[in-house]
Amino acid sequence: MNPTSVSDIIVQEITIKGSADRVFEALTNPDQRVKWWGAEGRFQTTHMESDLRHGGKWMMQGNGMGGKPFQVSGEYRQIERPRLLVFTWLPSWQENALESVVRFELEEKNGITTVRLTHSGLTSETSRISHKGWPQILSWLRSYIEPLV
Amino acid sequence: MVTIGRKKNNTTFRAIADPTRREILNLLRGGAHTVGDIAVNFRTSRPAISKHLRLLRSAGLVVTRKDGTARVCRLNAKPLRAVSTWLREYEAFWGESLHGLKDYIEKTERHREENS
Repeated sequence: MNPTSVSDIIVQEITIKGSADRVFEALTNPDQRVKWWGAEGRFQTTHMESDLRHGGKWMMQGNGMGGKPFQVSGEYRQIERPRLLVFTWLPSWQENALESVVRFELEEKNGITTVRLTHSGLTSETSRISHKGWPQILSWLRSYIEPLV
Repeated sequence: MVTIGRKKNNTTFRAIADPTRREILNLLRGGAHTVGDIAVNFRTSRPAISKHLRLLRSAGLVVTRKDGTARVCRLNAKPLRAVSTWLREYEAFWGESLHGLKDYIEKTERHREENS
């Protein structure tokens, strides 16, 4: 696991012993997705719907901390089985949220798949103000403000 | 799950979304400035700067006190913590999700091998 965040983009990578096809299936098949998407005591996914085609809708529901229900929905933007999956991300817990974009890139080598996740456009989630400066804002925040706080 | 106190943090996000206001914050990082001292650093009119400062004050990012006839502004970076916390929560969320995916695939993969 190697989390790096540049500006308002979150990039994370993990390697999985398994084929890219299996990973792709686990990401897009509702029966499989509810089995792994969650973290003990923090959030649990209980239901997913998925219309896996370009422009098709997806949504997942579950319980967050303290059993509080949540929902995330979106639309598939790019589907290139088994190496690329791009969908929009619209969470219920943000008022006036705009969609951000989640991208999964899968690269298989000798039966091991490297999964690279990119979540971009995050700041649009919290603000309707579209502004080109967001990437700078957050890096600025980290490097200068955090030591002061 | 990733949550954020809505109203308060929206104010923070709005406050830092504007380049002039970020410049003002940058300036104040170097120390307290009077409104006049801030304004001379910008081409923007002084009333416009005052307006930015009002917004920064209402977001709690700038604190002012009177010094004679001048108003001295100081940076208060605390509200910005919410922004970086929110980002870190998202990182944790994806970290946990990807680990869940890895465990799921590798467990079922082993199961398959054992049964074949």
